[in-house]
Amino acid sequence: MNRTILRLSRQALLGRRRGIVLVLIPGVLLVLAVVVSALTSDPSVGYEAVANLGFTLALPLVTLLAATAVLGPEVDDGSIVYLLAKPVSRHVIALSKFVVAWAATMVFGALPLFAAGLVLDVGDPRRAAAWGVGAAVAGTAYTALFLGLAAFTRHAVVVGLLFALLWEGVLGSVLDGIRWVAIGAWGREVAAAISSAVPDQSMGLGYAVVAAVVVTVAALWFTGDRLRSFTLRGDE
Amino acid sequence: MTDPTSATPEGGSVIHDLGYRPYTGPRLGPAAIARALVVTGFRNAFGLGRSGKSKVLPFVLLGINLMPALVIGGVMVFVGLKRLPIGYAQYASTTQVLLGIFVASQAPVLFSRDLRHGTISLYLARPLPSSTYALARWSSLLGATLVFLLLPILLLYAVALLGELDVTDQTRDAAIAVGLALLLALALTGVAGLVASWSTRRGFAVVATIAVLLIGNGIVTAIQGISQEEGHPRAGEVAGLFSPYSLYRGLMSTWTDTHGPTPPTGTAMQAAYLVVLVALSVACVAALVWRYRRVATA
Repeated sequence: MNRTILRLSRQALLGRRRGIVLVLIPGVLLVLAVVVSALTSDPSVGYEAVANLGFTLALPLVTLLAATAVLGPEVDDGSIVYLLAKPVSRHVIALSKFVVAWAATMVFGALPLFAAGLVLDVGDPRRAAAWGVGAAVAGTAYTALFLGLAAFTRHAVVVGLLFALLWEGVLGSVLDGIRWVAIGAWGREVAAAISSAVPDQSMGLGYAVVAAVVVTVAALWFTGDRLRSFTLRGDE
Repeated sequence: MTDPTSATPEGGSVIHDLGYRPYTGPRLGPAAIARALVVTGFRNAFGLGRSGKSKVLPFVLLGINLMPALVIGGVMVFVGLKRLPIGYAQYASTTQVLLGIFVASQAPVLFSRDLRHGTISLYLARPLPSSTYALARWSSLLGATLVFLLLPILLLYAVALLGELDVTDQTRDAAIAVGLALLLALALTGVAGLVASWSTRRGFAVVATIAVLLIGNGIVTAIQGISQEEGHPRAGEVAGLFSPYSLYRGLMSTWTDTHGPTPPTGTAMQAAYLVVLVALSVACVAALVWRYRRVATA
């Protein structure tokens, strides 16, 4: 890892408007959790709805924002050549950027989900922790995947959205088999292994963890490899 | 000020006047410029007149959007169904994620690029007010979104007519769906355009628009589900006023026989849904005009 790259990526991530939206999304989720728990007497009502919203929508969006923020703007305005011209291994660059995006995903994606779970039902911290850990696992794989996309195509954001919302969300709810190739489902499986209150995906904890690790490592290596043979294209 | 189109009068020349004849022919006014801008913008939204690569994304999205309609059409033809398995108005509600992604990804094409690269000053140097520029860009996005929304309706309608379903019924349903689609497109393009003109980074604008549209919709849906479970449908009806998609679903429940969760009951609430949806669009477009006026004077 390279400390200078870590610092610069962190600034790109939290600077100005992007930082605001990055805080706003988990903020809205927490406000919703507070409102729901204040208005309903039974903690079981609304728990599933809020957790699902956080897991299927807020988490991928925060991750996408974080992962594309550390690489996208530099590729867009071409200033990445100054970074690539430095005698630093491209895999180290990819790893440094991943670490920053990953940290942001944990703080703004997984942690709020855990906090929202606690707000909704303080009597069952295990369930909240399950959602938090599940989000951490899914968030890690998402971050690596979206970083790989950002290094691969200019349309990383749209492709990432199509994957997270259309493939995993819309198609995943119709075709059950998609859970084998959906990062969100792996995270849910891990969450279900921790707390029985989370509906499990019946694919086995082992598969979910191995799949998440494989995707993370492969996407990270791919990012470094893309940066190694990077071609700078003009604006369309 | 002298007329810039007239030739320099005798003896009035300055040192760098090389004596070339200026253009003295007819000049088209701001209306023609605005019209050209709308047409170019509309083509650019689908990548026409731009590089081959930028055509891929809009047409892939359009293709995915049309696929369910094609499948439904094929099933109807081969199985010989006597009614459409999905309502015309329901179609946009089912494909709302795709619709959101299309609007969010094409709005920066029209709104962000000129601001980011500074080419906006070239447009504003022409006799074209900044408000007309903003409205022209917005109309282009509206046109593109309408194409995206209306093509599946048209396809389903064609299949329904060829399958000899009742013409009056189908025409009425399709007409309602077209009206609803227009209302939805007004609101979506307003929101997306505003976000895209506020943020000049493309990727960021896309995520921010999606966050506003889909997280807003997700929250409203969650509240509607909970309020129905708890037996307070009124709370869900009020919550429905806060997202374009839920407003669309509410109006769809009012005007067609497809119902979403906690449909608005009572004429006052139904009118409120319509008023809020139109007011949202008007407010967004007004903010857009204001934003470009700021850019023009800055």
